[in-house]
Amino acid sequence: MKRSYFSGPYALWMILFTIFPIVFVGLYAITVRNETANSLYAGLKNISEIFANKGTYMKVLWRSITLAFECTLICLFLGYPCAYFLASKEFAKYKTLFVLILLPMWMNFLLRTYASMGLLERNGIINTIVTSLGFERLDLIGTRGAVLYGMIYNYLPFMVLPIHTSLKKMDRRVIEAAQDLGANPLRVFYKVTLPLSVPGIISGITMVFMPSVTTFAISGLLGSGNFMLIGDVIEAQFMQANNWNFGSALSLFMTALILLSIGLLNRLDAGKNSERSEKW
Amino acid sequence: MIDDTRLIELINISKSFGDTHVLKNINLYIRRKEFVTLLGPSGCGKTTMLRIIGGFESADEGQLIFDGKDLSSVPPYKRRVNTVFQKYALFTHMNVFDNVAFGLKLKKPEELLPGEKKPTRRQIKEEIKRRVMRMLKLVKMDAYAKRGVDQLSGGQQQRIAIARALVNEPEVLLLDEPLGALDLKLRREMQLELKSMQQQLGITFIYVTHDQEEALTMSDTIVVLNAGEIQQIGDGKSIYDEPNNAFVANFIGDSNILEAVMVKDYEVFAAGRSFECVDEGFAENEPVDMVVRPEDIMLVGEDVGMLTGEVKSVLFKGVHYEMFVEAAGIRWKVHSTTMYPVGSRVGLTVVPSNIHIMHKMADEDAYVGVPIQKSEAGQ
Amino acid sequence: MVKLKRFFVGLKGSYIALILLFLYSPIAVMIAFSFNEGKSRAKWEGFSFKWYARLFENADILDALKVTLIVAAIATVVSVILGTLGAIGIHACKKGYASAMINLSYLPMTMPDIVTGVSLMMMFTFSLPMINPILSDISAWLSALFKKDIDLTIERGMFTMILAHITFDTPYVLFSVLPKLKQMDPNSYEAALDLGCRPMTAIRKVIIPEISPGIITGALLALTMSLDDFVISYFTTEKTQNLSILVYSAAKRGVKPDIYALSTIMFLTVLALLIVVNKRSTLEDIG
Repeated sequence: MKRSYFSGPYALWMILFTIFPIVFVGLYAITVRNETANSLYAGLKNISEIFANKGTYMKVLWRSITLAFECTLICLFLGYPCAYFLASKEFAKYKTLFVLILLPMWMNFLLRTYASMGLLERNGIINTIVTSLGFERLDLIGTRGAVLYGMIYNYLPFMVLPIHTSLKKMDRRVIEAAQDLGANPLRVFYKVTLPLSVPGIISGITMVFMPSVTTFAISGLLGSGNFMLIGDVIEAQFMQANNWNFGSALSLFMTALILLSIGLLNRLDAGKNSERSEKW
Repeated sequence: MIDDTRLIELINISKSFGDTHVLKNINLYIRRKEFVTLLGPSGCGKTTMLRIIGGFESADEGQLIFDGKDLSSVPPYKRRVNTVFQKYALFTHMNVFDNVAFGLKLKKPEELLPGEKKPTRRQIKEEIKRRVMRMLKLVKMDAYAKRGVDQLSGGQQQRIAIARALVNEPEVLLLDEPLGALDLKLRREMQLELKSMQQQLGITFIYVTHDQEEALTMSDTIVVLNAGEIQQIGDGKSIYDEPNNAFVANFIGDSNILEAVMVKDYEVFAAGRSFECVDEGFAENEPVDMVVRPEDIMLVGEDVGMLTGEVKSVLFKGVHYEMFVEAAGIRWKVHSTTMYPVGSRVGLTVVPSNIHIMHKMADEDAYVGVPIQKSEAGQ
Repeated sequence: MVKLKRFFVGLKGSYIALILLFLYSPIAVMIAFSFNEGKSRAKWEGFSFKWYARLFENADILDALKVTLIVAAIATVVSVILGTLGAIGIHACKKGYASAMINLSYLPMTMPDIVTGVSLMMMFTFSLPMINPILSDISAWLSALFKKDIDLTIERGMFTMILAHITFDTPYVLFSVLPKLKQMDPNSYEAALDLGCRPMTAIRKVIIPEISPGIITGALLALTMSLDDFVISYFTTEKTQNLSILVYSAAKRGVKPDIYALSTIMFLTVLALLIVVNKRSTLEDIG
């Protein structure tokens, strides 16, 4: 028996439970149910629906993208210094610090969102502090800011991780060489360190943008449902409206959008560093 | 000493990977207790040949005979052959002792203790321990039995890999560039040790290397391979002194290779003059390759040499000087213990028995990548 | 100069501390107030285990806990077997097929959770009505045979949840094991055959032990992912709830201290598991 046959069950499983379901999404997306005749026919009505309907869905999509974009940008500006400091000589030895930043990434976003709800809610701890200081109670929950906060809170570690990895992987001798050649610390940073960490930045952007654009429940819980995102609309199509065809179309559209942006980012990356493609 | 029985025979073996013909119609036999070296540049097919004998690769065509039986379809775990791999392939999750004991533990009790009717577990354990320790002593690693293999140096890992293979008392030991990762001094030491181990144990060794010096030091028989074909089989001396063709001449030791014409028996024409030689049986006026070893060229006074030339460069190589001398439009590589300064005029002389005449190689491909003196002549 | 340098180190340290504060303060508040005597999530009214005690009186929560544990246990075992065998197979494959399989394995990891969730949901709802009649025939036959009530029919519930969890767990196992296989000397397996092992014995005695750190890491990761999952579970079950789904439906009604307590327990469990995983290998290698 050949060893390669061992991958058989795994391959079968992946086909049954990954490829097949995706085919379902595709099939549902291009079929329309006729309620009265109780029949299905092929058509692109679902896809066109995304763009039609007075732009309702386009608005949601736009909101999702802008929120995700803002979230990614803020994560980059918060996360880069954090990753940089953690990778620096003084802090590199405290591995635990880095692990602490990383841990939330692997934890249920729902629990983290729930925890931040407690912080932001009307009778929550922030408002308690604010009012006890004699200020007026703040409307935190249910605002766009709260949703953005929830996203940043959830996805910040995803930005720190790849940047930190790329900084750590960097050959320290390159920096020493730059210093040796007379570059001051600032110059070393933006002439050497920053360009060399671009692959990390790009995968950080991917890792934050992707889940934040597709997120669901965060806006429902922190935005009190006032800021429906594309993920929430998909969920509603499946769980409430029972319009799977349209839900599939939206899922497909969103996945395509994401794959497209990953592809673009990777292309940007490919010029700089081809090493990542060799990862496997 | 070497038996005359043929232990392993490769008959018309061919093997391709995709479009690359790695082995082309190989015919070879290996005798019992022989130390055979497969020598050739990388990519010549020597490792593939070894892997076919070991059973890790099967030939596309041809037969592999072991002790009179066809071995082609026998899986590696049933062959009475063991291998020392290039990077040793020690089991990192086991210590030295367990690595060496690995093969013995897989043996049936009656194989381990043929005398006993029903050996107890304890007896088996004792026997394994005895054999492992004996083998570790042989490779001088008995003090390291309880060490993890990753705590050992390259040379020590090497010894363990050899012990792990030899403890199974194979009839043939296959070694795939086993000394490749060691430094020069250690390599020389191990060469001698391996040779004496082979003689002491009386096992057939098939040894793969690209290092001609290693091959000359250790082997009873050297098989020179290039581009999947056997170029020459013979003992070190005959291969060095009587290379079959220009490739062998150039791969084994340094050579001056000249395009020449065999005027008649015992006379060859090259570099603008005739030389007396000891070769016969070529056609009249047949174009041939003429090979002269650098150390066989004697530098003499300008007026007494066969050819006259000028010393162009001198390098000190430790024991001798390597000089390039331009004479009769050819750059000659000359090794000599006497130094002639650059620019001095010298005479070159070769005795007839040191001129080697060989047929032109039919397959011009064999020249690929081999720097030949004639190409430098024009410079 | 030294003073200035010290100042910068201090600055760096404070920045890291601020980020940590940002990441952990909501969790710290949640954990603290899960021990609050009163119902408030802002005013401290004294320490008590009251909300924890209440958890264990709530039948819904206990059921959800049971579902979570069963799903995680089965999904982990199956995905470890599938993933390890898959990795060994892929590692021994030709390059083209191997890279196709690896890209296929990246798919569930890169696909948005919600898309994975709905795609599985659709497949289950579509295919179960086709499989169930057959299963019910088999059940009837088995019931008659063993004179016991046997029902093999599948509903969208715990069973489908397990299938879904295996699906997203297995790539984690695969990607924990593959690097270990790559690190192995390529001749190790051949050396075992050379020394007299049959192929299966060689895998058992050499390959599995050499890659076992990867297998254990993969198992712990699979367990963590499974205990932690919300989105995919949410879409692949109908009535059966696991703890995440329960927290979600509770959260929609607002923040409650008993859910604080439940979240705290889940959070600390996953935290502990992750620390163990991280001790074994760095999470970043897998992520």
